[in-house]
Formats: sequence, C-alpha cells, structure tokens
Amino acid sequence: MVNENLVKDVVKEPYKYGFVTDIETEKIAKGLNEDIIRLISQKKEEPKYLLDFRLKAFKKWQNMDEPDWAGLGYKQIDYQDIIYYSAPKQKEKISSLDEVDPKLLETFDKLGIPLTEQKKLTNVAVDAVFDSVSIATTFREELAEHGVIFCSISEAVKNHSDLIEKYLGTVVPASDNYFAALNSAVFSDGSFVYIPKGVTCPMDLSSYFRINSGDSGQFERTLIIAEESSSVSYLEGCTAPMFDTNTLHAAVVELIALDDASIKYSTVQNWYAGDEEGVGGIFNFVTKRGKCLGKRSKISWSQVETGSSITWKYPSCLLLGEESIGEFYSVALTNNLQQADTGTKMIHIGPKTKSTIVSKGISAGNSINSYRGLVKMGTKAAGSRNYSQCDSMLIGDQASANTFPYIKSQQPNSEIEHEASTCRISEDQLFYLQSRGIEFEEAVSMMVSGFCRDVFNQLPMEFAAEADKLLALKLEGSVG
Amino acid sequence: MQSKMKESDPILEVENLFASTDNLPILKGVSLSVYPGEIHAIMGRNGCGKSTLSKIIAGHPSYNITSGDIKFSGENINSLEPEERSQSGIFLGFQYPIEIPGVSNLEFLRVSTNARRKFLKKEELDTFDFEELVKEKLELVKMDHAFLSRSVNQGFSGGEKKRNEILQMALLEPKIAILDETDSGLDIDALRIVASGIKKISNAQTGIILITHYQRLLDEIEPNYVHVMADGQIIKTGGSDLALELEKKGYEWTDNFVKET
Amino acid sequence: MEIIEKIKTNKLFDNQTEIQKICLQKLQSSPLPNPKSELWRLSNKSKFSNFLNYSVNEKNPKFDIPYPESSQNNIRLIIGENCQIKLIKENYSIQQLSEDELNKYIKEQIACFDQNENWSDLLNLSLSSKQNFLALKINGSKIPPIEIFSHASSNSLNVKTLVILLEKNCDIELLQVNLGKENSSLSQSTFFLLEENSSVNHGVVSYGENRSNLLNSLNVIQQQNSEYNLGSLHFKFNYARFEISIKQSAGNAKTNIKGMQVTKKDEQISTYTKIDFNGPNGFLDQINKSLADDKSHAIFEGSIIVPKIAQKTDASQLSRNLLLSNHAQIDTKPQLEIIADDVKCKHGATISQLNEEELFYMRTRGITLPEASKLQLSSYFQEIISFIPVSKDRWDLLDKLLNEN
Repeated sequence: MVNENLVKDVVKEPYKYGFVTDIETEKIAKGLNEDIIRLISQKKEEPKYLLDFRLKAFKKWQNMDEPDWAGLGYKQIDYQDIIYYSAPKQKEKISSLDEVDPKLLETFDKLGIPLTEQKKLTNVAVDAVFDSVSIATTFREELAEHGVIFCSISEAVKNHSDLIEKYLGTVVPASDNYFAALNSAVFSDGSFVYIPKGVTCPMDLSSYFRINSGDSGQFERTLIIAEESSSVSYLEGCTAPMFDTNTLHAAVVELIALDDASIKYSTVQNWYAGDEEGVGGIFNFVTKRGKCLGKRSKISWSQVETGSSITWKYPSCLLLGEESIGEFYSVALTNNLQQADTGTKMIHIGPKTKSTIVSKGISAGNSINSYRGLVKMGTKAAGSRNYSQCDSMLIGDQASANTFPYIKSQQPNSEIEHEASTCRISEDQLFYLQSRGIEFEEAVSMMVSGFCRDVFNQLPMEFAAEADKLLALKLEGSVG
Repeated sequence: MQSKMKESDPILEVENLFASTDNLPILKGVSLSVYPGEIHAIMGRNGCGKSTLSKIIAGHPSYNITSGDIKFSGENINSLEPEERSQSGIFLGFQYPIEIPGVSNLEFLRVSTNARRKFLKKEELDTFDFEELVKEKLELVKMDHAFLSRSVNQGFSGGEKKRNEILQMALLEPKIAILDETDSGLDIDALRIVASGIKKISNAQTGIILITHYQRLLDEIEPNYVHVMADGQIIKTGGSDLALELEKKGYEWTDNFVKET
Repeated sequence: MEIIEKIKTNKLFDNQTEIQKICLQKLQSSPLPNPKSELWRLSNKSKFSNFLNYSVNEKNPKFDIPYPESSQNNIRLIIGENCQIKLIKENYSIQQLSEDELNKYIKEQIACFDQNENWSDLLNLSLSSKQNFLALKINGSKIPPIEIFSHASSNSLNVKTLVILLEKNCDIELLQVNLGKENSSLSQSTFFLLEENSSVNHGVVSYGENRSNLLNSLNVIQQQNSEYNLGSLHFKFNYARFEISIKQSAGNAKTNIKGMQVTKKDEQISTYTKIDFNGPNGFLDQINKSLADDKSHAIFEGSIIVPKIAQKTDASQLSRNLLLSNHAQIDTKPQLEIIADDVKCKHGATISQLNEEELFYMRTRGITLPEASKLQLSSYFQEIISFIPVSKDRWDLLDKLLNEN
C-alpha cells in the first residue's frame, strides 16, 4: 500500500487564492431583520416590487427549518452573526474601468482575470463581483451592438426593470428552500444576461465571484434569459481568501430558455475549502435551476466543484417545452474534511423531453462526496427519455462516496436508465502506466482526468483548460 | 420481359406511396408490383428509403402512410396490424434481427408458426410435431439444433441471426418475403447458405424483394427486376443487368437519372 | 387505528410474554413509525392505517389449503397449526427452540433494533402469541425442502413470527408462503441466522386477495462463508411492504437476491432492502423488478452500506421496472454508501414499458400483441420465478401472474 500514501500526498495542494485584498469597505451591521433588508434595498435604490419580494421571502424564511436531510455535518450557522452587505468603497458613479480602485483591478489580475482594456481576455466578457457588488463588466458596448444585455443585476434592476419584474423568482420561487428564501431576502448582486430573439451571443459571458471579507456572506443572484432561437455560453468562477471562520455563500441562479433557445452554464467552483483539519472554508449552499420553457429549448449545466468546505448544490432543469433538453455534467473533487452533496433534478413535464446526467465524484482524505439526484417523468411526458451515469472514484480508505439517485415515473411511454459504479485507481493501471515511463504523479493525474473526460469534454474551451489545471493543482502536488 | 407471368394477379402492389416518420417525409411516391414467382431487387444508397419501404410494408408503427396504398392479394392492407400482415403471408427479414433476452427461440418459432397455420386453417402443431418440422427446416439453413434452446437472437453472431431469419421464413412459408440487407455482415459461405435457403423456400407462387447495397447477393439469386431508389423514390427500373451496371459505375451514376414515371 | 390505542394504553393482552413486554414498552412511547422516515418510504397513508384497522386475531381457524399437495419429500409447516416440531433423523434434526433459547436470541435481536427501521418487527413481536411463533434450529445434511405457511383470516390482523437458526455447514431449501385473505392484515416477521458455511435457498411468495394487507419483514444475519439466496414474489395486495435487512456480520459471505412485485388496480406494494457489509470480501448480486399496471404504485428502495472494514466488497444492484399504464406509478431509490476504497460496486435502474421493437418483431411473425406482451412478460417474470426454490416444479406462479387479475 505504498501507493496509497503517495496518492494521498499528491492530492494535498495548498490553496493558491487565499490572499486578502486590503481595501476600505462599506459594511452594514451584522444581523438579519426587516430593517436590514430595507437598508440593503435602499442602498441599491430598488423599486418597491423588489423590496416587497425581499420582505415576503424573509417572512417565508423565518418560518422555514434549515434542512438536515442531506446528512451533512456542520456547526450551526448563526444567521445573526453575518454581514449581509459589504462593498468596496468607490466613487458614486464610475464611468470607465480606469476609475475602478486599482487595488480591485490588481486583485482580479492576481486571480487571472484581468479587467483593464489593455489586458482583458479577448474572447470572454467578464462581470467581476467583489463581495456584495459587481465592480466591472467588460465588453459591454460590443455586446450591446448585438442587443445582448450583460450587466450586474443591480444595474438591470435600474435599467431593465420590466425583465426583472417579469422573470425574477419564476424559476426558483422564494419559498423553494431555506437558502433560496434567504437569498431572495438579502441578495446583493450578481449577473444579468438577456439574449434577444435569434441572437447567438458573439462571445462567452463570464462572472467571477470573489469573497474577500471574512464575516460577510455572499448572496448573489444570477438571471439569464434566452429568447427564441438565441444561444449563450456562460461561465462562472469563484474563489475566496483563507479565513478560519466559515463564510456562507447562498446563491440563486435562474435560467430561462424560450423556443429553440440554448443556454450552456459552466461553473468552476474553487472556494476556499478549509484547512486539513476542516477549519474555515466556504459553506456553499446554492440553488441553481433552469426552466426549458420553450419547445426544443436546451439547458446544459456543467460544473467542476473542487472547493468549499461544504457544497450543497443541485443544478436542475424543468423540462416543460416539447422536445426540450436538459443536461448535467459534473465533476466533484473532495479532499480532507470537505463534504459535497451535489447532483441534479431533471423534471420531465413536457412530451418528448430528454435529459442526460453524467456525474463523476472523486473523494480523497476524510471527505464525503455524495451524488443526490431526482429524475421524474410526469404524466404528460410521453416519449421522454433520461440517461444517467454516476461514477465515483475513491482515493484512500477514509473517504466516502454515496449515491442517492431517486427515480420516479408516472408515464409508461418514457424511459429512464441509470447506471452507477465505484472504482479506485488500481495498482495494475498505475503499474502499467509507470512501466511505460510515466511518472507516478502524472499517472494518477492522467487517470483522474481520464475518469472525468466525459465531463471535461462538455466544458467550453476557455474553461476546460482551467478545469484541467485546477484538478492538476489539487492532484499533482509539487510536480509541475 | 416475363410478360407471361403477369397473366396472374400481383401478390403485392404498392401504389404511389408517401410515408413519413415524426412528420419527416421518407417515401415520396413509390410504386411497385410483385407478381408470383418474381424476384425484385431494390438498391440504393443508405437513407434512400429502401429499408423504410420494407418496414412500412410490414406495418411498423413508427411510420405513417400519408397517401397511397399497399395492396396484398388485391386487398388494401394499409391499416392492418403487423401480426395480421405476417399471418396472411408477408414476411420481413430484418436487417438487424432483434435480441429478445429470456424468450426461448423454439417457443418463439412455434407460436409464430402456429399463428400462420391458424390463418391458413391448418392444424396447429404441438411441441412434439413442431420439433419435427423445425428439424427439417434447420437443414435448409444449416443451423444446429442447439440454437433452438437459446433466447431469441441473443448472443447470436451476425450470420447466425440472418440464418435464424431465413429459418423463420422457411417455417412461415410466406407469399411474399422482403429481405432487408440479408446479405450484410455475412461471409461468402454464410451468404451461399442463406441464398440457397431463400431459393429453396421460394417457388412459382411466392414473390421476393431483396433489399441490398451490393451485387454479391444478386450473383447468387438472380432478380427479374432491379429498382434503384433515391430520396424516397424509385428512380430507375431495369433487369438484372442494371445491378451489374450499377456495381461497375457506382451510385454516382444514378445521380443523373431523372425519375422514370 | 384501534391497535395503536391499545398499545398506547397497554390494554392488549393479559398474559404478556417477556418478549411482548419488552417490545410493547418500546412501542408505547412512539407506537407509529417516525413520519419523517415514513415520508421516504412513500407509503400511502390511508392504506397504511387500513392495515392497523383490524383487531388481532387470536384464534387460528383451520384454513383450506389453496396450494399444491405437499410431496412426500417435503416438510410442510403451518404457523399457528403445527409449531411443535421435533424431527430427529439420521442425517439431520429440525426442532423447536426452547423458550430460553428463543428469548435469548430474540432479545439479542431487539437490542440491535432501530426504532424506525424495525418498527414492523416491534409491532410483530408485541402482538405475536406463542402459538404463532415458529422457532426452529436446524442442523445436519440432506435436509428435505421445507415449506412454511403464514396465512391471514378475514376481518382481522394476523401476526406470525418465524425464527430459524441454521447451524454450521448446513444447507436448506425453504419456501415461505404468506397468504392474505379478503379484508385482512398479516404481519410476518422472520429472523434468520446463517452460521458459518451454511447455505440457504430461500423463497418468499406472498399473495393476497381483495383488500388484503401485508407487512413482511425479513432479518437475515450471515456469518462467514455462508450463502444466502433469496427469490421473492409479492402480488395481489391492496397494500404490502416487504422490508429486508441482511447483515453479513463478518463479511466473506455471499448474498443473491432476486425479488419482484407486481401491482394492479390501486394496489401499492413496496420493497425496502438494506444490505450491511460488516466485514471484507462480501458479495452481493441483487435484482429487483417491479411491474405496475392500472392505477397501482410500486416502490423499491435499496440501500447498500459498505463501511471501511468491508474492503474487497463486490456488490451489484439492479432495479428494473415496467410501467404499463398511464395512471400507474413507479418509484425506485437506490442508495449506496461507500467508505471502503477497494470495492466494486455498481447499480443500475431502469423504468420503461415493454420493448416496442421486440413487440414489433414478434408481431411481424404473426404473434398478436397480447400474446407478444405475454411472452415478454413471462420472460421478465421467469428470471425471478426460476430463482424461487421448491416452487419451480409444482407451483404455477407464472400462470397466476399472467392470468389472474
């Protein structure tokens, strides 16, 4: 079992994004009550319907119980000990990126997300969110030429209020679950995307979420609307500094695809996971859901989950439109004392809908990695099909891998197929690779990445490289 | 050509048949008549509609006839169930015979044969008599008795599956047999066995439609007519020499044909 | 739910046995299963309470035997009628456990109970009278096949308990038949211990009549090198649940399960299985089939637990389901919890209707749609039925399934 230990060493890799930006921030007092919610809404100069939305959600939240069914073990969260609004101090109105605090630009530079005109990524438009606010969005004019709206949700509330009022909370109702209700009450910022009819978004859109402050929670809200026959690919990345306290991240993402529209949503999540003893790290309790409202619409989720102390996340699809398609491709890597409970729900409502689920879980250390899924065929989903594949890879004998697929059918003319397997890196495979001259670390990483191939193939080009690199970082140790 | 054969009535008549699946038109006006004793070959590229034609004649539920008629022994069969067509004497040899795990081949053959016999007002066979009959027919396709105890087509090689199809044809004694790419995936020995089986089963009262890409089956069984299909239509009809010409010149040659009416 | 009231107030029986006392005490504080865990079991509430709406039947009327004559080679036992058994032959012995042995064994079992998971066992043991308690220890070789019957009578709740201790190096074939009667409930709990090197082919066939209910609980402990094969079939119950718990106490054991439930009309039949690997080198091959027609509901929940100690476990679970009607419903919930890394675990689940291509193929060969469906169904059933011991030759299970409505 020499290899066993080596494998363990290989998966230990220090977190590279753990620095804190020293910047003056405007924070409101800790705690949560109606006044705080009014204050957030007021700071953001929101219309009344939004304040009402928040207050209603808050009432619902107060009457809900924190879920415990996932069997996750964590210290009770004190919701009164969290700051619900924190923003870097900036000038009131920023007309160009040059006016953004250089420290912020530098922060994103260090994270590999340059925002300034000279350095910005050429093929991706970025919305950079720092704690509670969006600080910059690149390529706005270029996108506007195509009629694409890409801005922070706060701006959208001001400039595209009709769309917000029409769609916000229609996919994830405020009462959906405990954390969605909390988010609906206190959400600070996030991204808004609107792709008009017939437009194929000319470049990938991306949001980068950075938690900087240690005692504030992050509650961003993303809303993407793809009108008839439009398409967009959206990328999301996340990092946070290392604190020894747990920071709560409770986001809500809503996607809406109309007739023949397609949305591809990719996430590389690398929140701080806590240290080896499990101290600190982000609690990542996220509700992501897409509604395939239109005929032949398609929503595809792909995610690479490597960070957070606890992840609780089920990007889902409501397949309403005839012949609509839902997809979920996921890699979740857990190490040390991380816990990930992730999966998807594919709710087939309309006829001839199709869904595909490919989930790869890798558990190392003392971590717990669970796939939890629901596939449901409603009574009207005639001619619908689902295929799911959930594979787990265990590294070391202390990690656990759980699979909880729940399958429900009320429609005889539909097919559901689920397969799952568990494996580990076998010594024979390692030996075979090594005997062909491949270094041990390389061999491990090759096999892990081979294990994840089906999912990586689904990531956009820009992200595939990042994901590969991220897993490699987590897995390759000092081997460069 | 063989005009004297046409003194009798046709077994199968396809009249200006249009058909579609999932609203996608596949057949766009196919007409074809097969008289007793005739062998027809239908050739064409993948996707030209030749397999679809065979499935529609057999009554596959995935296809809709949008207009036109299929007549069998003078009767319109457009709305007959697949089993009724089979019982009355239409046989489709599948390109990819289906595996049915758990259903014994012998039982399957017996139930199927008896369904046809019942239609013909012949006595139904019990297991014992049926085994006698099967034994005799197994000879035709040189199949081992052991195939009978296995599940239908399960774990059969490509050649075994095709021979199992011909065995079924022998047992059902159809009036018309449509053999969909029965030659594909067969080595030359298996092809000869299958071809000789087909020849022994057919006679002056039966009609045969061979659907194929290649000449090689037609070397073994010479057709009276060769039809070339493209884009859901028969674009050219000729004698067996047409197949030879096609083999020589390739399907590009047919691209120039205008549809013959 | 009269029973529950009586349990709460402890007004059930005058002369309680020791076991009854212990179990009643446990039930008194929470006489019903935890609503949260029941939620996961997806039981229909009104059906569930209907189960408890009868009063306990303490008599055992002679009943007409609706099953084939016992062959001379078989041992046939009917719980409630002939529980006093002492067969000591040259090669083997089958005899009743002494009261002390039985109490000791059952108390050990109760000590490991989880209030939620063993609720139906607690209920069973609380209500089961001495005469409905068949407890056997079996040893030796060349033991003839055994058939054991539990049956309900109408308009009552019937409680039967079976305990089998299979001693080392012993092989048996056992068919357990549970029969429901019109408007009746049957609670059957079975405790099975397989000592080292023993092996069992166990069949469980349960079928009812109109409006009959069944709570069938099966607890199996397998010691090392034992092999436990279970073939089960449940059909024709208004409400039935089959709860299986199998524990490989020290690993190194083999478990094969092939189970099936068939639901029609507005029936609800569920199977819950929990397989614990408590040691290395365990083997499991499990298949569960459901067929749901009309407005019925079939449920399968199968959990497999592979702790760290269970290295080199090889487990596979398959859930295959046929949904034949627009108003029927199937739920299937596999659950795998794995901590050991050197294991092979796989599971799969499908829900569909009869294969259309297969049907079409048969129809092109002149077989009518109903016949073709029947052929397909019989092959679907046959895999399970052929795994049920003793019954194969004499029991017309396939006919019952295909022809009864």
